[in-house]
Amino acid sequence: MNGILATFRRELRAYFFSPLAYVVLFFFLAVNGIIFIYLIGQMNDPRAAGGPPLGYFFRATWLMLLLLGPVLTMRLVSEELRSGSIEVLMTAPVTEGQVIGGKFLAALVFYGFLWLPTVLYGVMINAYEKVDWGPVGAGYVGIMLIGALFLAIGIFASATTRSQLLAAMMTAAMLFLLFLLGVFEELVNNDVAKKALGYVSIWSHIDEFANGIVDTRRLVFYLSGTLFFLFLASRALEDKKWR
Amino acid sequence: MIEAQSLSRRYGDFTAVDGISFSVKEGEILGMLGPNGAGKTTTIRMITGFLPPTSGKVTVAGKDLFESPREARRQVGYLPENVSLYPEMRVSEYLAYRGRLEGLSRAELRQAIPSVLERGLLTEVKDQIIGTLSKGYRQRVGLATAILHNPRVLVLDEPTVGLDPKQIISIRELIRQLGREHTLLLSTHILPEVELLCDRVVIIDRGRIVAEGTPESLRESWMGNPAVRVAFKDAPADAAAALAGLPGVVGVKDGAAGGSWLLECERGSDPREAVFRTAVERGWVLLELARERGATMEDIFVRLTTHDAVETPPAAETQTAEPPKEEQREVAS
Repeated sequence: MNGILATFRRELRAYFFSPLAYVVLFFFLAVNGIIFIYLIGQMNDPRAAGGPPLGYFFRATWLMLLLLGPVLTMRLVSEELRSGSIEVLMTAPVTEGQVIGGKFLAALVFYGFLWLPTVLYGVMINAYEKVDWGPVGAGYVGIMLIGALFLAIGIFASATTRSQLLAAMMTAAMLFLLFLLGVFEELVNNDVAKKALGYVSIWSHIDEFANGIVDTRRLVFYLSGTLFFLFLASRALEDKKWR
Repeated sequence: MIEAQSLSRRYGDFTAVDGISFSVKEGEILGMLGPNGAGKTTTIRMITGFLPPTSGKVTVAGKDLFESPREARRQVGYLPENVSLYPEMRVSEYLAYRGRLEGLSRAELRQAIPSVLERGLLTEVKDQIIGTLSKGYRQRVGLATAILHNPRVLVLDEPTVGLDPKQIISIRELIRQLGREHTLLLSTHILPEVELLCDRVVIIDRGRIVAEGTPESLRESWMGNPAVRVAFKDAPADAAAALAGLPGVVGVKDGAAGGSWLLECERGSDPREAVFRTAVERGWVLLELARERGATMEDIFVRLTTHDAVETPPAAETQTAEPPKEEQREVAS
């Protein structure tokens, strides 16, 4: 417990003390804002399809996670491996799992912090037209679940190498593959394959979440996937000492 | 306090440490000496639990490092060779973080941090960002974190490397103080440091222990017979014969200058008094009478770790080429 908590506190501070965090925050909000303005503009057209604007918002913005995942996680373990601070870290009475867990939670909290200002969009719309908060909440659940999986994948990549660049590239490649599986779902004709791809397709998941559906199968998929990659990350860190 | 039993560590085909066994008793300062690439850092990493040994076993304060790693690690404070800290943190923040990692409570932290700041002479930089500190200060921060949780064992890997002479003196002073309260394992390749600080020495070369003992006993067993230098005025003709007849004297050699001799003596004997009496009896004017400086740690070290062509096994070429490889692998390849 000490290990998780101490690592969590230090990593969260590290996020807020690094210029990267503010650059990420700035661009994330800028792009989000542009998407939001564009969406509202389009939906004001009487000929536009109806529906809750924030539903479209989630469907569009989740794509940014493909970039956010690598950027937020690349430093987490690689930096310790490169600088050698891993040596005093892993000779403290903590386990690899605790260290990875603490780092993951810090990344997740920072990630949540990035999304926090977007709640204002809901509040703004609510001033003009009543917002159905249920689907919005479901959308955020989806965003957090997808984010958790992406961050776990990123931490795993970061634990395998001392180069941040390599970690970021590996993460981006894995996330892109996951993204493509959703595209393939639309392309395949085989029913079984379509179903299987549908199960892992983030596209269809975010659609469901944005419509207010929180399916237990999705919860299981994201939570088990997250744990699986965190487990791999702690094994990767442990493996470093055997070679 | 520390028991290492036939520790070995291989990196691929290269054996960095080859069956090292030693123990450090409670309250002792053990120096680990060896040329670069001898396997000191690898050994130390196995003792602190950073590297698992390929074979062998380590216990610290009675706890096996691999059966109960957390209990064992709690007893160890470790200063690695390259102290790397988080540059964006302030000194006191970093200490608080390390304390929490070690499982110290808030109250314990409040007590421990000011005390290690003071001991490490860090109080005036406690609010500085670590990235702006000089190497000497960072080394001290590393030492401060090593003693923060008041471990029974301290392991310091080359604590004075890369420091200026003044900093070296102050770090050594700190180490000497720490040695009074902790069991200390100190690795170094700086010889005077060993003689200055250590109760006992282990010399490692090519992954093996080549000598072990107190600095004095090592010196004694490696320096050969003690010698005494004598010089008389006007070089009396029968001096050599008279000196050879003295009790305890095994051989007499002519010294560098005319009228001086070098007496080789039996171990444990000191013929200086006899030389003086002989001089008085015969009316010779004694100009010089001194014990030759015995072997230093340096002589012993060089003798034990220099490999000339004859005794070098055929595999030596790859072996001497290997040490830098070990450095590269330092953290994780």
